[in-house]
Amino acid sequence: MLKPARLAWIACVLSVVTASVWAQVGDAEAEPPARVVREAPGEFQFVRLAYSSNSYGRGGWGRRQMWQTDWPDAEHHFSRGVDRLTRVAVAEQGRILSPLDEEIFDYPWIYAVEVGYWSLNDQEASHMRDYLLRGGFLMVDDFHGTYEWSAFVASMERIFPDRPIVDIPENDAAFHVIYDLDQRIQIPSRMFIYSGQTFEKDGYTPHWRGIYDDEGRLMVAINFNMDIGDAWEHADWPDYPENMTALAYRFGINYLIYAMTH
Amino acid sequence: MFEFLFKYSREDYARSELVFAGDWPQWLIYGLVVLFVVAALAGLYRHRGNSSAAQLATIGFLQVLMVAVIVIMLLQPTLTTERLRDGENTVALVLDNSESMAHGAAESRFVVARRNLEAAVVTDDTPNLTLRRYELGESSVAVESYLDTVPDSAATSVAESLLRILDEARFSPLAAVVLSSDGADTSGGLTADELDEIAAFGVPVHTIGVGRSAMPEDIELSDVTVPDRALPGSTISARVTVQHDAASSTRIKVYDGDDLLQLVPLELAGDVSSTTAWVDVEVGEAGPHELRFSVDGNAEEPELRNNTRATLVDVANQEYRILYFEGEPRWEYKFLRRAVAGDEDLGIATLLRVSPNKFYRQGIDSAEQLQDGFPATRDELFTYDALIVGSVEAASLSEEQQIMIRDFVSERGGSLLMLAGPSGLGNGGWGQSAIAGVLPARLPATTTDSFHRKKAGVTLTPQGADSQMLRFAAAGDENRDAWRELPQVADYQLVGSLKPAAVTLINAETDVGQVPLLITQPFGRGHTYILATGGTWRWQMSLPVEDLKHETFWRQLLRGLVASAPENVSLVATGNPGDTDLTLRAEFRDDAFNPVDDVAVTVVVSHDTGESFTVAMQPDSNEAGVFLGQITPPQSGTWYFEALAERDGEPIAVGRTSILHEAGQAEHFGFRSNSGLLQRLSEATGGQYFDTDDLSALPDLLRYSSSGITETEYRSVWDAPAFFFLLLLLKAGEWLLRRRWRSI
Repeated sequence: MLKPARLAWIACVLSVVTASVWAQVGDAEAEPPARVVREAPGEFQFVRLAYSSNSYGRGGWGRRQMWQTDWPDAEHHFSRGVDRLTRVAVAEQGRILSPLDEEIFDYPWIYAVEVGYWSLNDQEASHMRDYLLRGGFLMVDDFHGTYEWSAFVASMERIFPDRPIVDIPENDAAFHVIYDLDQRIQIPSRMFIYSGQTFEKDGYTPHWRGIYDDEGRLMVAINFNMDIGDAWEHADWPDYPENMTALAYRFGINYLIYAMTH
Repeated sequence: MFEFLFKYSREDYARSELVFAGDWPQWLIYGLVVLFVVAALAGLYRHRGNSSAAQLATIGFLQVLMVAVIVIMLLQPTLTTERLRDGENTVALVLDNSESMAHGAAESRFVVARRNLEAAVVTDDTPNLTLRRYELGESSVAVESYLDTVPDSAATSVAESLLRILDEARFSPLAAVVLSSDGADTSGGLTADELDEIAAFGVPVHTIGVGRSAMPEDIELSDVTVPDRALPGSTISARVTVQHDAASSTRIKVYDGDDLLQLVPLELAGDVSSTTAWVDVEVGEAGPHELRFSVDGNAEEPELRNNTRATLVDVANQEYRILYFEGEPRWEYKFLRRAVAGDEDLGIATLLRVSPNKFYRQGIDSAEQLQDGFPATRDELFTYDALIVGSVEAASLSEEQQIMIRDFVSERGGSLLMLAGPSGLGNGGWGQSAIAGVLPARLPATTTDSFHRKKAGVTLTPQGADSQMLRFAAAGDENRDAWRELPQVADYQLVGSLKPAAVTLINAETDVGQVPLLITQPFGRGHTYILATGGTWRWQMSLPVEDLKHETFWRQLLRGLVASAPENVSLVATGNPGDTDLTLRAEFRDDAFNPVDDVAVTVVVSHDTGESFTVAMQPDSNEAGVFLGQITPPQSGTWYFEALAERDGEPIAVGRTSILHEAGQAEHFGFRSNSGLLQRLSEATGGQYFDTDDLSALPDLLRYSSSGITETEYRSVWDAPAFFFLLLLLKAGEWLLRRRWRSI
């Protein structure tokens, strides 16, 4: 027999795990269509990269893919924030494109989530390389720990075998273009509400890293060991810390304005 | 026949006045008329019973006509004509002795002209005139005879020469000027003012044209136009014009010293007399570059020296300054900046409104630059050579700032480029702003959403194909194809109706048809452009990484914008190859580009050999801040000029330029006979143009010249056979009718 205290402890852990899984899976009825028809075209339209996942990231029957994480609230909230806080003309709806979609070149800013589970083949990597070298900007987010980093790097090196991933310097314009983001605070997922932990797996320390082109312009903004997408998604969640959401908005807006000015 | 019936020629009638010289008393004539008419009516009345009314009227009409003819004869019609008085008038014979008159096959133009000039004037019909002889070349020279005259003048200035002759004869009875020439003027032709000035003397100038206006055996490099200045390593586009009178093939070669820079084959069509080609030339490093252009000649050419022209291009390091004012973050902004980022000659400072309360500056030289937003003073705005206005409302600037933009174009001579956008052009209210007048289109009102976020293809217009700014390839077809294959732009905006001076360079192929995409017009000292899209960035994102069309487009467009913007101080030396004189024009303006007049300006002129001298410039009475001068370079070669403006003995500004001067080349170019110039001269002065094969009317023209000392000649016309034939005809007609009707 388990003691009541132990039972309570187990129940608590199970509820946290269940909540975590539920948070990742989301509402099963909100399964997105393959393509979202743009209704109100704007200069900026939030585009989510529908990448191919490795074996750990594939969803089962009725389950969401990893690239779908936080969809659609993340882009919906963030787009509204961009519209409210900047003069960027923002499209109402987001859009989902795969790396091989030719239309990707019509959207010079793209977001990829849970890239610790992406797995790009050579053709997809080549397409993404062209996209970035022509002037496209990629923001990656919500991947944590040693394993996910190595999985991310494996595909990233297919895109740029010869370009190093470096820490973005404090004085880089990406951190100052509209907001001066001098503090490096780990932006947690919603799980933080239940666990009190801002990190996931062994991703204790957040890193803002990037890949630059030959002219010193940031092409890929790598937000490692943090979950900016969750902060966007749960901007209307009463329990999620408002300051984290605000900070996540600011990082996202800075990346966007940087991408539209550099 | 005319002269037989009316005694004198049509020309006599044309130059004379018809008067009635009869001295019969008027009462007698009227009395005779009345008497005759009464007698005729009485006769008709007597026969009224035997004839119808129509028959009576016909006979009566014929009789009245006969009376009218007799009355006219009694009034003694007479021609009165003004003609030169014998022995009291002068005619100036003017023989063109420029080098171009030495051309000719069996006989030179000069020999033909000299023979015809004397022979046509000195005839038995010529009244007793005093002849004065002149040679016409760079100016006019009086000579006793043409025996020693040879065609050796290095230039031809018809206007200057004639004005000098006419001025000399101002107080003498000059009846006419007879000019024998090929009309190949090397001073730039006859302007309307010069023609008016010549005509104001009231002396008819008769011209005799010699030579051929078409010379199929000759090819001439008639014009080469290049920018005065260029940036190091840049490619300039030279406009080369070849004159020809037959179809053939040739090649254009461009040399910098001994280095062959370019070789372009050129086909000359037979149905045109002039062919123009654009030749792209890489100008190389900084410094003056003497570019020599030549076209291949053929063995039969009478003049090979007109196959080559040389010109000087000043290649200098200079960073042009461009201000880009953008109202919202957008991809066009990013990609435009990226496109010109590697161009060290273009310094582009940007002011971007990223949020309602924040501007973001890029490309600035100091922390203070644009710190307070869009420039608020002319001094600050006018430091830029070009201004780009993006998707931003006109209301975001004050009226004073809008007026400054207008003055930036019209007075400073800067270029203004307006871009399309949700808040740009018509949507932004620019059509109702203070700068609406300078724009090349009448923009739609703000009530119409003219911006469409729909993709559109692009095509070059013929004017766009000629524009150096829009070159992806040198050859015309290749360039057009390159444009046609460009990806669609992301959006377009309707610009409304174009203004009369606007030129469309690019069209957009949209779902509503073809609409203007890039238009321009000159305004005041500057130029305005509208690029009716904010979506050229698709070219960069849709084409392979190594494709540079997007970069090339923006670099060339922006270079085109700044290249035409003048500096505060400008000094220009002009002169056609071979001109004896060079004209200097210096212009001084302050930082706000207001004309500077209260200065003394001198120009130091120096030559490669070290020879130098100083010229004092005179203020131009027509244009403030402009000073003019003229020099006659003592030798050929490169001449350098430095204009110094001083106020109270203190230097305040310096302008520099240089030019390649080649003396004695003028007559080798444009030597085809120009009968049109001679005809215009004669028409303007009341004279007549003659070909060499028919000069028979010239003596008569001289006799009846209205200029000089004239007398009136009276010649009777009443006894012209036509009157007697008419009387006979009328009487015979009446008699025949009476016989036929047997009733009167």
